Amino acid sequence: MSKKLVKRSPMAQFAIRTPYYVLTLGLAIIFMYPLLWTAIKSFAPQGGSIGQPEGWGVGNYETLFNYQAGIWVYLKNSLLITILCVVFTLVLSTLGGYAFARFSFPGKNLLFLLVLSILMVPYATLLLPLIIWLKNLHLAGAGAILGGRLGVAIVLAVFQLPFAVYMMRISFEAIPKEIEEAALIDGCGSLGALLRIMLYAVKPGLITVGIFAFLAAWNDFMVPLFLLNSGDNSPMPLAMVNMRQQVMGTIDYGVTEAGVVFLTVPCVILFLALQRHYVRGFMSGALKG
Amino acid sequence: MSHHSKLPKALALLAASAMMFTGLAACGDDKGGTDATDTPAASQTEEAPPVDTSDQTEAADEETTPAGTEDTEPASTEPGVDDGTELTMWTRAPLERQANMLVDAYNASHQNQVKLEIIPNDDMEAKVAAAVVSGGMPDLLAGDVVRLPYWVDQGFFTPITDKIQALPYYDDLAVGHIDAGKSNDGALHTVPFVTDISVMVWNKDLYEEAGLDPEKGPTTLQEFVDQAKAVADLNKEGVAGTYFGGDCGGCLVFTWFPFVWGNGSEVLSADGTESLMASDDAKAVYAAFRELAEYPNGLGAGTKEENGGTWTAPFAEGKIGVMPYPNTSATGARDAGINVGAAPIPGINSGFSTFLGGDAMGITSGSEKVDQAWNFLAWLTSEDAQLNVIAADAGVPARVSLLDNEFTAQDPLAVAMNSSVANGRTPVAIYFAEAFNASGSPWVQTFRAAVWGDADEVDALNDEITAVLQQ
Amino acid sequence: MSSAAATPVKPKKRLSIQRRNLRGWGYASPVAAVVLVFFVGPLVLMMYMSGTDWKMAGNQGTNFPDNFKDVVSQRQFWPSILFTLKYTVIATVLLIGLGLALAMLVQESSRWRGFLRTAFLIPTSVGLASASLLFYALYSPAVGPFKGILAKFGVDAILGTSWGALIGTVFLIVWRYTGFYMLLLLVGLQGISGDLYEAARIDGASSGQIFRKITFPLLRPSLALCIIMCVTGSLLAFDQFYILTKGAPDNSTITVVYLLYKLAFETKKHLGMGAALGVIILIALVLINIFQLKVLRGDEDE
Repeated sequence: MSKKLVKRSPMAQFAIRTPYYVLTLGLAIIFMYPLLWTAIKSFAPQGGSIGQPEGWGVGNYETLFNYQAGIWVYLKNSLLITILCVVFTLVLSTLGGYAFARFSFPGKNLLFLLVLSILMVPYATLLLPLIIWLKNLHLAGAGAILGGRLGVAIVLAVFQLPFAVYMMRISFEAIPKEIEEAALIDGCGSLGALLRIMLYAVKPGLITVGIFAFLAAWNDFMVPLFLLNSGDNSPMPLAMVNMRQQVMGTIDYGVTEAGVVFLTVPCVILFLALQRHYVRGFMSGALKG
Repeated sequence: MSHHSKLPKALALLAASAMMFTGLAACGDDKGGTDATDTPAASQTEEAPPVDTSDQTEAADEETTPAGTEDTEPASTEPGVDDGTELTMWTRAPLERQANMLVDAYNASHQNQVKLEIIPNDDMEAKVAAAVVSGGMPDLLAGDVVRLPYWVDQGFFTPITDKIQALPYYDDLAVGHIDAGKSNDGALHTVPFVTDISVMVWNKDLYEEAGLDPEKGPTTLQEFVDQAKAVADLNKEGVAGTYFGGDCGGCLVFTWFPFVWGNGSEVLSADGTESLMASDDAKAVYAAFRELAEYPNGLGAGTKEENGGTWTAPFAEGKIGVMPYPNTSATGARDAGINVGAAPIPGINSGFSTFLGGDAMGITSGSEKVDQAWNFLAWLTSEDAQLNVIAADAGVPARVSLLDNEFTAQDPLAVAMNSSVANGRTPVAIYFAEAFNASGSPWVQTFRAAVWGDADEVDALNDEITAVLQQ
Repeated sequence: MSSAAATPVKPKKRLSIQRRNLRGWGYASPVAAVVLVFFVGPLVLMMYMSGTDWKMAGNQGTNFPDNFKDVVSQRQFWPSILFTLKYTVIATVLLIGLGLALAMLVQESSRWRGFLRTAFLIPTSVGLASASLLFYALYSPAVGPFKGILAKFGVDAILGTSWGALIGTVFLIVWRYTGFYMLLLLVGLQGISGDLYEAARIDGASSGQIFRKITFPLLRPSLALCIIMCVTGSLLAFDQFYILTKGAPDNSTITVVYLLYKLAFETKKHLGMGAALGVIILIALVLINIFQLKVLRGDEDE
C-alpha cells in the first residue's frame, strides 16, 4: 500500500491521508475518553460529594486518603497482596511453562488441560468451597496466616495460572533448543541453564505474565471481600467500593472517580513503562506459531 | 502449610490429599457448631434447629452469667463485663457515620474496645455467609431489620432474652428492632442499633413558587398527588413533582408501606406468610403514583430506572417538590442548603405512619465474649448513648421516652420525624428480603407493572410475593 | 554464555528418558501441587456441596437431585441462559471483529500507529471492577456527560431499558477488552510472512481477496484462540453486570453466574443450589469448548 502512495502527488496523498488521521484519531479519543473524563471529573465540583461539593480542588482525594484507617493501610495491603501474587505467578508459571515446553512426561497433557480448565470454572462458585478449604489450611478466617492476605494472593495467583502457564509455555517453546543445549554443555545443570540463559530469553513473556498478575491482584475486589476477615487487611478496591456508598441512597461519585483514578494511575504508568516488553511478550510466542 | 514447600514432592501430594479429607470432615464440624442438635431429620423441619439451639445456649447463659455479672439485678452499674476486651463489630456501609460515632463514644468511656468494620451494603449477605463457613464472624453483628429474621432463623445470633428483659428500661425500647430479632420460640436476640424512619419531606422554596403553603405538607394521599402536580406545573428545568426508587424494592417498602399502614390497613398477614399488596388500599397507592407518572414533570428524570443507588439525591439537589424520604437523609438535605419541610407520611385518607427501619444488633452465636459484647449493647440502649450520641446527631432515639429531648426541641425537623415513631411499623417475615428487597423481586415487578405496565397484573404478581414468603 | 553459544557441539550424553521424565515432573510439580490443593480440592468440595442442603448456617444433609431440580425450575433459569448466550454472541462478534480491524489498522509500525496501539491498549490496564465503576458514573443521569445529548433523544438513563443496559455493558467490555484481542490477533498477523502478500499483490489480487485467501486462513489459529477465550469469558460474565446493572431493569440483565450469586447469597441464600448451578455451568462449558475445538480444528484440516 505504501508503495502505491509514493507515486501520488503530495496533494492527493494529503487528501487520502486526512480522513485516515481524523478517523484513527477519533478512535483513539474514544478509547481514552472515559479515563480522561474521570480524571478531570475527580477534581470537579459535584453535588453529593462530601469532599468537593463546589469549586475545583482535591477534596475528593482528601476524602479518599482519610477514609477509615487511612488510605496507606489499604495501600500497604494492596502492595503486599499484589507482590505475593506476582511472585507466586511468576515462579509457578516459569517452572510449569518450562516443564511443558521442554519435557515430555506422563500426565503432561492432562496436567496442562487441568491448568487451562481453571478458566472454565465460575469463580463465584469456587469461592465458597475455597473459604472452607482455606480455613482448614489457616489461610482464611480467624487467625489466618498474614490475616488471610497470603490466601488471597494464592487464590488470585491460581486464577492467573491458565494464562500465565500458557504464555510461559509458548515463550519457552519459542527459544531455539540450541541455546539451551549450549548452556547445558557449558556445565550447568538444567536448573542453572534455566536460570542463567532461559530467563533472559523469556524476559518479555515474564513481563507480560507479571503485568497480568499485577493488574489482576491490584484491582480484584471479590476475592478479598470473601477471604479477608478484618478491614485492617483489606486492599484498596474494597475500601473504594465501601466509599462509593456514602449515606443511604446517595452515591459519592466524586470519591468514586478519585478512587478509580488512584487505582488506575499505577496500572497505566506500569503499562506504559513496560509496554514494549509487554507487546514483545506476546510476539515472542508467535515466532513458534 | 507454611513448611509445605520444604516437604518432598510425594509427601506434599499426600499432605494435599489429606487436607482434602480434613476439609470435608471440618465441614461436618461446622454444622455441629451452629446447630446443637443435628440429625438430618431434625434439620429438615425449618423451625426445629434454631429452637433447640436457643434453649441450650440459653441454659448455658444462665449458668455462667450470674457468677460474673450483675446482669440479673440491674442497678446503676452497667450490665455485662467491661474488662478491656477487644470486640469486633460489623455493620453495613450506609450506617457508617452513625456506627463510627457510637463506637468512638463507647471506646472513649470504656475499657472494652470495639473494632468496627464496614461492609458494602450489597455484599453484606455474602460476607456473612462467608464468615459463617470460615468461622470468622464478629462478636457483634448489625443487620437491616428486614434481613435480620432470616439470620435469626439460621441461628447466627446468641439468644439474650433474659439480658434484654432485665434492662430497667426494657418497656421503653422501640419494639420493632426487638421483634425483628425474635425467633419462633419467642427468644430475643437483638436490640436497636440505628433507627431509620421514613418521613414526608417537601421543598419549601418550590412550594412557595408553586403557590402552595410552604409550612403545610400533604395530610392525605390525594393532597400528596395534588401538591406534586403543583410543583410539576412550574415547568422548571430539571424540577419534578416527586421521585422514588422505581427499580428498588427496599426503597418502596420503606416509603410506600406507611401510606397503607397510616390508613389502618396491613401489608402482610400477621404471621408474615401472605402479601396483602393487592388490596384496595395498596392499589390506591399505585394509582396515585401512576397518575404522577403520566403527568408531565410528575416524576423526576430517571425515576423508573432508579435502583436505589441515588434515590435520595435529586431531592437533596433541590429538584423535587415532595416525596417520602429517609430521616437520616433529610437532615443531610437541609445541610446541603435545601429548605426542607417535614411531616409524618400520611395514610391514604387519614392517619399517618412510618417504616421503622434501620439496623438492629445482636451477639453472634460463635462469640466467646458474650458478656463483654452485652456491655456494649446495654450501653447502646442506655440514656447516655441514645441522648448524647444519637439524638445529639439529629438521629431517632430507640427509647420511646427519649423521643422528646433537649436536642429535638431545637429542631423542628426532628420533632416532625419523632412524632411519627409511635405509629411506626416494621414488617417481619423470614423471607421478606427475598420477596421484597432483592433486585427484581416479585414486589419490584408488582409496583413496576402497577405504575408503568399493565396494572391488571398486580393480583397475579402479588401471589408470587406470597409464594416466596411461604416457601 | 557467548563462548558456549559459539561452540555448537552435541551434548556428550543424552539424558535417559526416565531422568528427563523425572526432571519434567520436578519442574511441573509446584504447578501440579498448587492446582491440586487450591483448585481441584475446592472443585471437588463444590461438587459435594451441589448435592447437599447447604444453607448459610452450614451443611444440613444430602439433597442430591433436588438442588439441580430446584435450580432448573427457577423462574430466572432459562431467561438467564438466553441472556447469557445473547450477550456472548454480541460481545464475541464485536470484540473479535473490532480487535481484528484494529490489529490490521496498527499492524505496520510507525510513530502514529504506535500511538494508536497504546491508546487502544491503555484500557486493558484498568481493572474490570474499576472500569465498571467508571462507566457507572459515565452512564449516570446525575453526573454523566451524555445526559444532555440523550435527553434530546428522549432517553433518561442509558441503563434504563433492557437493550440499553445490554448495549451499555457491551460497550464497557469492548472498551476494556478490544485492545487485548487486538494484541492477540496482531501477534497472529505478524506471524504471516510478508512474502505471501507480496506474491499475491504481484498476481494482482485485490485487498479483499488477499484478506479472504491469505490473511483469514493463516490467522485461523489465533482467531480460534481468541474466540475460545472470548466465548468462555463472556459465558462466565459477572462483575460487569454485578456492579453496572445489578441485573436491572426487570431482571433482564442476569447472566447465569449472576443467577448463581443470587441463589447463593441474595434470594435463596442456598449455597447448595449455587454450587449445583456451578456444576451445570461447568459441564456446559466443557461441552461447548469441546465443540468449539472440534469445529475450529476441523476446519483447519480441510
